[in-house]
Amino acid sequence: MLEDLPRPLIERLLAVALERGGEHAELFHEQRLTHALRLQEGRIHEAGVNVTRGVGIRVRVGDQQGYGYSDDLSEASLERAARVAGKIARSGSGVRAVSVNERPVASVYVNGAWGDTVAMARRVELLTRADAAARRADPRIRAVNGSLVDEVQNVLIATSDGLLVRDRRPLVSLTVQVVTERNGERTHGYYGDGGRRGFEFYDRVTPESIASEAARIALVNLEAVEAPAGEMPVVVGPGGGGVLLHEAVGHGLEADFNRQGVSLYSGRVGERVASDLVTIYDDGNLTGERGSIAMDDEGTPGQHKVLVERGILRGYMQDALNAELMHTHSTGSGRRQSFRHLPQPRMTNTYMPAGELQPDEVIRGVQRGFYAKSFSGGQVEISKGDFVFMVGEGYLIEDGRLTAPVKGATLIGNGPQIMTRVRAVGSDLKLASGSYTCGKGGQLVPVGVGLPTLLIASMTVGGSRVR
Amino acid sequence: MSAEPLELARYAVALAASAGAREAEATVVVSDTFGIEARAQQIVTLQQSVGRSLVLRAFVDGRKATLATTELSRAGLAELVARCVEAAHSVEPDPLGGLPQPQPVQNGDLQIFDGDVRARSEEEKIAAALTMERELRAYDARIDNSNGSRVADAVNEVALVNSLGFEGSYRSSSVSFSASPVANDGSEKRTAHFGASRHGYGAMPAASEIARVAARRAVEMCGARKPRTTTLPVIFERDVAAVLLGDLFAACSGANVAIENSFLAGRIGERIGSEQVTIVDDGLLPGGMGSSPFDAEGVPTRRTTVFERGVLRSFLFDTYHARKLGAQSTGNAAGGTVGPNNFYLLPGTGSLEELVARTPRGIVVYDIIGFATEHVTGTWSRGAAGFMVEDGRIAYPVDGFTIAGNLRDMLAAIDDVAADIIYESAIVSPSFRVAEMTVSGT
Repeated sequence: MLEDLPRPLIERLLAVALERGGEHAELFHEQRLTHALRLQEGRIHEAGVNVTRGVGIRVRVGDQQGYGYSDDLSEASLERAARVAGKIARSGSGVRAVSVNERPVASVYVNGAWGDTVAMARRVELLTRADAAARRADPRIRAVNGSLVDEVQNVLIATSDGLLVRDRRPLVSLTVQVVTERNGERTHGYYGDGGRRGFEFYDRVTPESIASEAARIALVNLEAVEAPAGEMPVVVGPGGGGVLLHEAVGHGLEADFNRQGVSLYSGRVGERVASDLVTIYDDGNLTGERGSIAMDDEGTPGQHKVLVERGILRGYMQDALNAELMHTHSTGSGRRQSFRHLPQPRMTNTYMPAGELQPDEVIRGVQRGFYAKSFSGGQVEISKGDFVFMVGEGYLIEDGRLTAPVKGATLIGNGPQIMTRVRAVGSDLKLASGSYTCGKGGQLVPVGVGLPTLLIASMTVGGSRVR
Repeated sequence: MSAEPLELARYAVALAASAGAREAEATVVVSDTFGIEARAQQIVTLQQSVGRSLVLRAFVDGRKATLATTELSRAGLAELVARCVEAAHSVEPDPLGGLPQPQPVQNGDLQIFDGDVRARSEEEKIAAALTMERELRAYDARIDNSNGSRVADAVNEVALVNSLGFEGSYRSSSVSFSASPVANDGSEKRTAHFGASRHGYGAMPAASEIARVAARRAVEMCGARKPRTTTLPVIFERDVAAVLLGDLFAACSGANVAIENSFLAGRIGERIGSEQVTIVDDGLLPGGMGSSPFDAEGVPTRRTTVFERGVLRSFLFDTYHARKLGAQSTGNAAGGTVGPNNFYLLPGTGSLEELVARTPRGIVVYDIIGFATEHVTGTWSRGAAGFMVEDGRIAYPVDGFTIAGNLRDMLAAIDDVAADIIYESAIVSPSFRVAEMTVSGT
């Protein structure tokens, strides 16, 4: 299934794309094979094979971009895509030869049995073991749904600046949903783990451990009380709590919003934007993590970026277009969902380094508040900075201790306000195991988040119980 | 319509049969898409492509596997179809699996294709996008930026063939405009988004009008503050109401009901909503954005009453989940599961402004963020922004708060519905009011 475009064709397509006078042309060739297996009611219910193959061609002129793609790899169809992309340039400056040279890219993935070499029987075994473990956990468990999705994405990128690079990206995710019931009331728990690795990962993080965690959350939620409503101190748990950074700060530091002046962080590099306890990194180089990329979808190597350092804004996440217009370098943040999409500045793995306090010391300081152990997702509006996140597992804090579990609530805050209200940072940095996927402008990309236990002095908890 | 999509679908079904599938169904979609984004006085992106994709469902003795691919070369397809049929052997047999028997499809004109989408010149489309950018800035001095004004269109050809003898194809088109102003009142930036979708350019509202509505929404939000935590009547503006209906659709989907992942499971015939709640799914609505002659399995679409004056009458089904719950498919198969055709709440009376005037005290919500819905319990909460209503009038803008409740309670508490529905998406709603919800602010 894997086939290469001949180099002379690549060079010719880039030249055709620039016939009307574009400044940069880029070709993105993707061949992705995805397998999905779903378990329901104790049996393998459905298998899926997904192939995404095609070429996207982009032409840039200043801040203007033209884009055409084709899933038909005939020369005629690819040339049509190149011409469509070239239409954005209207000066018609004529023919220009392009030659590309291949450069190596250092891997950031864990080698092993990637999805394109794994037998279906191995997938079946993992899901069946997860199902059995979840069912064993408790008689109140009523249903178990499991899903195993893996892919290998082969990417080739060539540019009129002479670059030719390739990347081969594995990704695997095993998720389990457990439904529990008591007295006619049903709740559920959801947990998953994986990354850019081989299936050997599940020898260490077993399907049994993933299923048990989903069952534990579902059972906790059976006991949950209605969430409180109103402003109170919030402690965010390690790992999945990193969704907070992704929403409250991360999106607002993507270069496109800042170049366009629509982000509240526009023009504020070097200024204080958070309490001095706050440092935030975005790192595409962490080995095997879900958000990691050896190179981005424009061919720039993934990097470790300091976004905020002790409360001071240090820089934005840049793709090639915005970096050029802002007179700086790409930070390897140009990502896209597929060959059908234009790249955008995006996050990879966003996290905060560990602080000094023991996690229980962080909680002990709170008289009455809310503990968000994990989030199931979040969303932000980047101009004013209001964001929400949805609590996956949460508890009340009373007299410095975790008490009753709380039903799914939405927390709402304002990014810059919340970041100045960070009062304590725990020593327990953890990268989230969850299978987070980030959406922006209609494009989905896998991301990672991480956080140590964090105390925020005050935030609005959006429950239904008014005191 | 070109013959190619149908031929490709037939070829894939034949490949599946020779690879050992007992039954197979192939859908080919060819999408000719165009899109531009304008910022200030220029077009910043222009995209145009023809995308093709094939989805094959293969059944081997009740074991189902699906292939979705953009690789459509004859040699490539043969290998992939074989791989799909092979994958089916990993699945447990399910006696309920399998294709629907072919049924005749109505030939009436659903008004879902408009030739003007291709006839319209690129210059006119560019002019519409630039008009929106200009009108946004002309509306108010506080609007000094935007997140782009967009014009997009598409012509889709859909062909479906199955091994039981069904063959069908249709063509549809769509156009959408959207504007996203940013207002700056000196202390904060405020964004808004407003758009419209139709099947053709001729049916679109004027680009300038879309820009003006978007601009007004951004400007009116300037100076918004956080409300106090309390309980209040909440009016859902029609776009926000449609998001809530989307959550309700998930609870009405036979796919969720079958695995009891719905607070409505087992409640057919029960009174759930108020008298004002009549909700239908109508795949044959002329000009509806979700209308089509047949669903993703070739089952003819139809009109299904889901709620009638608050009483739950029917769930929505594809073939598999209908068999599972002893019902008939309602023509709602989509993407391997159950999807909406035109799923909407029947309109009541008057405009949103009149609904506000009928509300002595409350909040009208124009924007929500987040997606916290527990389908099993119906627990629902969102971040929100909008206006405080006092004495039947918009009093001042509010934001930074959440609204929360339970979908079951919210349906029962819908006590007033406006008539401002526009059928521009597969899930739409008129604005409506929920008598009481928790508003969480300061």
